[in-house]
Amino acid sequence: MASTACFVIVSKNDIPIYDAEVGSAPKKEDQAYQHQFILHAALDVVQDLAWTTNAMSLKSVDRFNELVVSVYVTAGHTRFMLLHDTRTEDGIKSFFQEVHELYIKIFLNPLYLPGSRITSSHFDTKVRALARKYL
Amino acid sequence: MEPGLSIESGSAIRVAVLPVGGPIPPQCLRDYAALVAQHARVDLASLRPYYSEHQKSPFSHQPWDTGCLRLKFVLGGCVPSPWEDFQSSRKVLAVVGICHLPSSPDLGKVAADFVDAARTYPSALASRCFAFCPTDAQLAEKKSDGIIMFPPSDQKSLELHMLTMIQDLAASLLMEFEKWVLRAESTGTILKTPLDSQSSLGSEEVIKAKKRRLGRAQKIIGDYCLLAGSPADANAHYTTAIDLARLTGDVFWHAGALEGIVCALVVDRMGQSDPVLEDEVKYRYYTIIQLYRRATLQDNAQRVSPVSFELEAALKLARHLCRRELAKEVSDLLMGAADGAKALIDASDRLILYIEIARLFGSLGYKRKAAFFSRQVAQLYLQQDNAYAAMSAMQVLTMTTNAYHVQSRKTSKSDHASPKELGASNSNADSGKVHPQSVVSLFESRWSTLQMVVLREILMSSIRAADPLTSWSAAARLLRSFYPLITPAGQSGLASSLANSADRLPWGTRCADPCLPFIRLHSLPLHPSQRDIVKRNPHKKEWWIGAGPSGPFIYTPFTKGGTSGTSKQEINWIVGEPVQVMVELANPCSFDLVVESIYLSVHSGNFDAFPVSVNLPPNTSKLVLLSGIPTRVGQVSIPGCIVHSFGVITEHLFKEVDCLLLGATQGLVLSDPFRCCGSSKFKSVNFPSISVVPPLPLLVANVVGGDGSILLYEGEIRDVLITLTNAGTVPVEEANIALSGKNQDSVISIAHSTWKSALPIKPGGEVTFKVTLRAWHLSLTDLEADVGRSPTNSRRTQREGINPFLNIHYAGPANQGNGEVSLPPGRRLVVPLNICVVQGMRLVRARLLSMEIPARFSEAHLRPVSDKDNMSNGSDMVHNDISLLKIDPYKGSWGLRLLELELFNPTDVVFDVDVSVHLDGTNGEQTLNVTADAACHKTRIDRDYSARVLIPLENFKLPVLDASFFVKENGSDEPLGSKAATIAEKNAKAELNASINNLISKIKVRWHSGRNSSGELNIKDAIQAALQASIMDILLPDPLTFSFRLAKDGTMAKTVSASANDFSHSTNENACPSTGESVLRCKDPISAHEMTHMEVQIRNNTKEIIRMNLSISCKDVAGENCFDENSATVLWAGVLSDIQVEVPPLQELVHPFSVYFLVPGDYSLQASSVIIDATDVLRARAKAESPDEPILCRGSPFHIHVVGTA
Repeated sequence: MASTACFVIVSKNDIPIYDAEVGSAPKKEDQAYQHQFILHAALDVVQDLAWTTNAMSLKSVDRFNELVVSVYVTAGHTRFMLLHDTRTEDGIKSFFQEVHELYIKIFLNPLYLPGSRITSSHFDTKVRALARKYL
Repeated sequence: MEPGLSIESGSAIRVAVLPVGGPIPPQCLRDYAALVAQHARVDLASLRPYYSEHQKSPFSHQPWDTGCLRLKFVLGGCVPSPWEDFQSSRKVLAVVGICHLPSSPDLGKVAADFVDAARTYPSALASRCFAFCPTDAQLAEKKSDGIIMFPPSDQKSLELHMLTMIQDLAASLLMEFEKWVLRAESTGTILKTPLDSQSSLGSEEVIKAKKRRLGRAQKIIGDYCLLAGSPADANAHYTTAIDLARLTGDVFWHAGALEGIVCALVVDRMGQSDPVLEDEVKYRYYTIIQLYRRATLQDNAQRVSPVSFELEAALKLARHLCRRELAKEVSDLLMGAADGAKALIDASDRLILYIEIARLFGSLGYKRKAAFFSRQVAQLYLQQDNAYAAMSAMQVLTMTTNAYHVQSRKTSKSDHASPKELGASNSNADSGKVHPQSVVSLFESRWSTLQMVVLREILMSSIRAADPLTSWSAAARLLRSFYPLITPAGQSGLASSLANSADRLPWGTRCADPCLPFIRLHSLPLHPSQRDIVKRNPHKKEWWIGAGPSGPFIYTPFTKGGTSGTSKQEINWIVGEPVQVMVELANPCSFDLVVESIYLSVHSGNFDAFPVSVNLPPNTSKLVLLSGIPTRVGQVSIPGCIVHSFGVITEHLFKEVDCLLLGATQGLVLSDPFRCCGSSKFKSVNFPSISVVPPLPLLVANVVGGDGSILLYEGEIRDVLITLTNAGTVPVEEANIALSGKNQDSVISIAHSTWKSALPIKPGGEVTFKVTLRAWHLSLTDLEADVGRSPTNSRRTQREGINPFLNIHYAGPANQGNGEVSLPPGRRLVVPLNICVVQGMRLVRARLLSMEIPARFSEAHLRPVSDKDNMSNGSDMVHNDISLLKIDPYKGSWGLRLLELELFNPTDVVFDVDVSVHLDGTNGEQTLNVTADAACHKTRIDRDYSARVLIPLENFKLPVLDASFFVKENGSDEPLGSKAATIAEKNAKAELNASINNLISKIKVRWHSGRNSSGELNIKDAIQAALQASIMDILLPDPLTFSFRLAKDGTMAKTVSASANDFSHSTNENACPSTGESVLRCKDPISAHEMTHMEVQIRNNTKEIIRMNLSISCKDVAGENCFDENSATVLWAGVLSDIQVEVPPLQELVHPFSVYFLVPGDYSLQASSVIIDATDVLRARAKAESPDEPILCRGSPFHIHVVGTA
């Protein structure tokens, strides 16, 4: 499992609708901010890159210091962004795919307004379990 | 590292611009520097006049026609770089001094200063000192010491002067370059970089250095060629240098020469975009980067690392390629450069690197990337512990706020005004419903965590930089946007930092960013006067008709549908009349919020707002009424409120809060500030379009004697005075007063003439008019409700909505402007007549007495009020004192019925009751108008007492007894089939009913209480009920009327003709005493022992001949029959019994007889007759049960007083 990993789902409107620190390293407040800053900055790159490829998984699109940003873009242009320090391409890809399935389930909920925050604790638990499994 | 490097920067001559002499005002320094810096490019062609070729120029390919020198002015100079031997463009090659002469009078001192300053730049090849604004005295001084004076003149000539000077400087630089190159070519120079100096000078190294020297010299000559504006020469030298460097393995210089050759290439082809060139540049630069990296690896052990050159090369290439199409390549380059930051030892190098990266990302359009690196820059600044660094950090962070969407409203003003957004908001407002998706888009890019961090860093840096306004603004944004994420302690901390910042700000500072509280528009409570603006129809004279709701219903189907729909969105305010807007304030934070003043913010400038101050405890919301006065005609737009809290004035827009609340309902925003303060549900109120209309008249109604309820007893009649005052500035020219609401009939009259005569009512004028009210009667339910209440206010209950209203429509004069007449709207004033009806006198019961109770009536009681009564004459008065019995001692009174009203006074005041029967003199048919009227006798009824009032009813008889009155009773018996008969019957019936009503309406029971309460009891129904049973007896005349009179001495004594008959069938004689009329009596006493001639007059009141059997009886006081054969008290002559007479219809018959009284005393004569062959009418009148019954008719007793002779 990666020591540092920060997972964020960004909606079409560039709002983070879900974020979780899924790394094994002990949490530090300012670092969490830093992770989000990096992910936020990476959106610029993703925005260009997403239209150059058919693949949903954009692999690693950005990096800052040792941290790499891997991105997965859904058909609805929701972006799954993972900031991590180890490179396990396959694991990350599987992680993204499984999270995508979870996300679709959330999306199918008629009470969920697309683009609003995902507050489901079930989703959170599942995502963290997937992170443990694949990262 | 150096900021702002590009590929071309190798061709720029660095010139230090130094202020010398006395202090220069910042604005002047800026102006002078700008003047100098204008001439960054000097064409070679323009240098010709100043250039003199001393020897053969080494720049053989110099393009004198097209080439130019590039100057790079560095204000304030710079620290000499250790790498300046490596790249000549890093050297300061010229020094320019700037002097502001007014502040440095001594020219000699200035010259010395300049020399000192120039000495710090040993590499400088030329120097000039420019002195501005010299005084006359200074101009007069000899121009020594190389100070060039710029005499004060206009801007244009100053610029021209400066251009000349710069061209001169450039020419001398060019000549110096030539000299330098010639010397370098001939003698050679030792060129060292920090890399070399570190190495120990072993023999091997020395040999290596010797080998490399030539190549390095070629590279530097190339640099100078480039600076001299001759890329072709530079290219040649660089090519040599590259070859030599490659041979000697001088990687670092190899890279440098390559950079130079690319620079020469780019400069040479300046302004052309050539893909081949670009590929070339790219290829070369990747090589350069590789070479620098190799150099770095080689010299890794050394303390000084050339890594910055690698990064600079990457940045230069990135800058060269920086276009949207090549974004990926550029961002890769920049990311690579960013990775290199770790290798940089110097913090300022890292700072420059990040700044450059941020700039490049910014110009690439990667806002978020740029913001990220800007934040890195700011963090590096914050690591330095001084105010300037903090200020820089603050400014850099402020630049990032756009990307993080936490920008101050000051900077985002243009966004707000963008037509697209306005259109969007309008369409939203129009539809009234916002699509959820568009709601989501309102909150685009909300990374609350990041936003908080950025704002906090801005706050921190601005506090450190001592910029109170910025820190106030940052704290305000932080608190307003993220209060749910901040702990109560943190909120208090922010509040105190707001207060601290405000302490340092001047009083009345405005800030673009609102803080707390949250303000939303709650409602626009309409002033009654606003509600009552009525549009006038110019084609309709009476414009008020149908203009307002006239009934008690809110919705009337008769109002025009079109107007109600639009009026909702439009509000008219009137110039000069105060208006109110209700807003809701919320303080969701955990500290006390003091709003020093809050008032409406009006951008249209035609509104005077009144400030109020509010104190909001933690987690509360409050409704506040904000008022103001429109001052000018036009549209009013009220986008929000101006709030003065935490020492700063801010504007709070309603629209923003509405968006926020919209987001809160969709779960996009963390918290709804109003709901968490316990306020009610979110309802969006759109600000309607408000237009201010010219002043209208304004009537204010005032009920004289207080605006409270008018307390009236049931049935009370009172005049109420209403004063109308024109409080406006326009006269009232027309008006109309109408009634509406419930119980309209309680308003008896309105003095229309009074107010009409007062028109027009001038501003300030007033008119008082009278409205007469009569209290209505409380219904049973009211009374029951009263009983249930507590005794103190039981009688003062008043229910809503039962009052009548005065609807006053009024309008001012028509406008005569522009040749056409336009009608200003009219207004409506509703004056509620708050009538509180309390229970007054109560009629317990009304009944018709059958005179079982003895009653005495004096003549006074019976005196008719009406003079028209022909019955009364002077002789009546003689017997006033004689109280006559109207009572038959055996059977009650004759001819008089009493209506008894039982009244109860449940109130706590005393009532005086008058009963009067109004005579109707015009009614000629009524032959016997005898009424009882006790006008002077009041009955006083004390509180909680009841009293009975007797109303004598007499002679309301009809003149003719007609069959038609009995049609109903006889309808079954008689075969009346003809239609005519039926109609006649109906008419007669109607007549009867009318006469009953007539009778009833004449009876009035008036009451008085206290000084000014008076009224009338409504007793109609009760009387009707009481009379209904015996109405026939009262109204219908008897078929026969008997009257006695004296026929003495041939003169007729006064005869009281009376028709009082007792008329009943024989079997039921006693049970039914007939309606009495008047007392019959002989006026003059009759002497005993005298023959008295009398006659009885019999009148037939029917339309048929009546045959009868008449008999006359006489009774004494004991009731003994005096005409008895055995009695000796009265003797008689003539026939007294069994007289067969026949009376023709409606005619009279006289039967004479004589009596002789033996004993003085009182006697009564009575005539009675048995009707032979009675018709059905008579039978019906007598209420005969069987057709065989004999019908007996009896007259009233005639009283005779017999006096003795003695």
